[in-house]
Amino acid sequence: MPKIRLDGLTKRYGNFEVLHGIDLEMDDAEFTVLVGPSGCGKSTTLRMIAGLETVSDGEIYINDKPISHLEPKDRDLAMVFQDYALYPHMDVAKNMSFALRLQKRPRAEIDKKVHEVAEMLGLTEYLHRKPAELSGGQRQRVAMGRALTRDSSTFLFDEPLSNLDAKLRTQMRAELAMMRQRVHKNMIYVTHDQIEAMTLADRIVVMHDGHIQQEGKPETLFKTPVNKFVAGFLGTPPMNFLDAVIESKGDDTYLTGHNFSLRCDDATLQRLTDYPLQEICLGIRPSDLEYDAAAHADESLSLQVDIAEYIGAQSVLISHSGEQKVMVELKSDTPITLGEELNFRVSLEDIHLFNPSDDRAIP
Amino acid sequence: MAHPDTTYERQHPAFYAVIFTLVFMSVGPIALMFINSFKLDVDIISGTTGLLFLPTIQNYETALCDILPYELDHLDYCSLKFGGAFINSIIITLISTVLTLIIGCMAAYALVRFRFMGRDTVSGTTLMVRMVPPAVLLVPVFGLWNNEFCIGRETWVGEIIRDTFGGRGDVCLAGTHSGIILVYIAMNLPFVIWILQSFIVQVPRQLEEAARMDGAGSFQVFFKVVLPLIKPGLAAAAIFTFRIAWNEYLLASALSDRDTKTVPILIVNNMSEFNVEWGVIMATGMLLAIPPIIFTLFASRQIITGMTAGAVKG
Repeated sequence: MPKIRLDGLTKRYGNFEVLHGIDLEMDDAEFTVLVGPSGCGKSTTLRMIAGLETVSDGEIYINDKPISHLEPKDRDLAMVFQDYALYPHMDVAKNMSFALRLQKRPRAEIDKKVHEVAEMLGLTEYLHRKPAELSGGQRQRVAMGRALTRDSSTFLFDEPLSNLDAKLRTQMRAELAMMRQRVHKNMIYVTHDQIEAMTLADRIVVMHDGHIQQEGKPETLFKTPVNKFVAGFLGTPPMNFLDAVIESKGDDTYLTGHNFSLRCDDATLQRLTDYPLQEICLGIRPSDLEYDAAAHADESLSLQVDIAEYIGAQSVLISHSGEQKVMVELKSDTPITLGEELNFRVSLEDIHLFNPSDDRAIP
Repeated sequence: MAHPDTTYERQHPAFYAVIFTLVFMSVGPIALMFINSFKLDVDIISGTTGLLFLPTIQNYETALCDILPYELDHLDYCSLKFGGAFINSIIITLISTVLTLIIGCMAAYALVRFRFMGRDTVSGTTLMVRMVPPAVLLVPVFGLWNNEFCIGRETWVGEIIRDTFGGRGDVCLAGTHSGIILVYIAMNLPFVIWILQSFIVQVPRQLEEAARMDGAGSFQVFFKVVLPLIKPGLAAAAIFTFRIAWNEYLLASALSDRDTKTVPILIVNNMSEFNVEWGVIMATGMLLAIPPIIFTLFASRQIITGMTAGAVKG
């Protein structure tokens, strides 16, 4: 299995640069997920690796061999497309064996491989149906099967689940995760759905505006985001951002915002020693807010709850503090009355701090 | 709604009148031709228009005299070479149709998918070429085919051809099958390109990308993925080209010689200043109509809608 390395990968359409020098290294048999909002350049990156888009600048290396001048067929990659792209005039078996038939492999080998993969994906009984006679989920499976029948070193997925309905998507996501355990190959997966990214990835690459914002393990990105964008992008419901100023009152330092004032502990003071500004931005995950009527004012936020979204065991409260909207995630059996001002305790070690001038995280 | 297939809504009488007129207009001449082809010239000209006549296959015998295995009593000399002309027609029509489709689908694909300088101009002007009436082409093409596109009889190739096929003078395009085929291709190509473009546009680009990822080269993408999907377009274009080439008279009459003339030319040859052999003309006309009918029936089976259903998410 090869190592894939992107070195200053750049894409320009005319004078308009959409990808600004992407540097990325993907290890052997690693599941890499490129994630970001639409238009961030993640699909373009994938298509450049695939060879479907030309490289304007920079180079793609597979095992230290530059490949950006090669045709897609010479790159030894298999790809699953967002809208399936099944050959409508061929049945499922023919679709899945197309690549092998192009390579002129022996019939017996092709049949064996197709049946093996069909077995794995539960497609055996549909092998002689045309794509038009399949449901969306089955089509997506055939598209995956088509990639799996080939012995490519690397699989590319371009938002493969985004056309499925919510339930099917969850199911296919689980199947993908299972497949991942059986097939030890490089996989590069593009999605705009951060849950897919978090659940599937060995390594997440968060992209925005043609730049890589941060890359690393899902936990690392979730726990220590480098900037406000990554912090806000990963996690549902998204992180709350509250503006505050650093104030000293007597011996203590407070982070004071509209309607709240949190007292800094020693660890936080340590973090703020080299911080040059007065203004600061607090990032609080909805799950880090804890309902506690008796909490002291210097360790809690006082929020007016507008709506409670019941989603089962958990509920999401949409509340506000002054102008600021704040989301809180808590157990559904917590006794909450809508429209009242309630106290939510927050622990300072869970708070992410950002510099409002450049949105970077304060470590 | 017990039998939705067998119950129809009652229509306005005018509706039936219009239908009847249309059917009469299209079927009438064919029926007339069919009936007259079984009459003797005497019956046709004498105006016994009714259905009361003694049917005879004599006209067909006359028309097919050069390929019938037996001698005809009513004919001293077989002047009409229907068999030969029929074969000429088949050769010219089939080859020009096949070549037009091959060149046309590739050109259409290139115009739709590739970006190159002048693409839009080429795309736009292809149809304009089609607007030129064949009569305008006739004189220049006749001149070129007779005088310019020739291989001198002194040259090596010319000598071989002359030795094989005989004849005198230079070897020219005029009077050959190739000469007529070439003109027909030029005449039909613009429309075929234009039709096929609209079919190729409908082939989802992701399919081609998927094929490229599966290891197909440009030609394999075209022949294994694009071509099967535009089969309905190819069939429509084939019907169109076949019929035009089969029925064409003007250019063929100028560019063919004794050995390469096609059936439409042959039919007109039955008219002379002394005599118009209506019966034979009708019989030849009937025979002329058969190949396009068979071809159309065969080709129209390929016209299936919804070829790309299920390819990509709607």
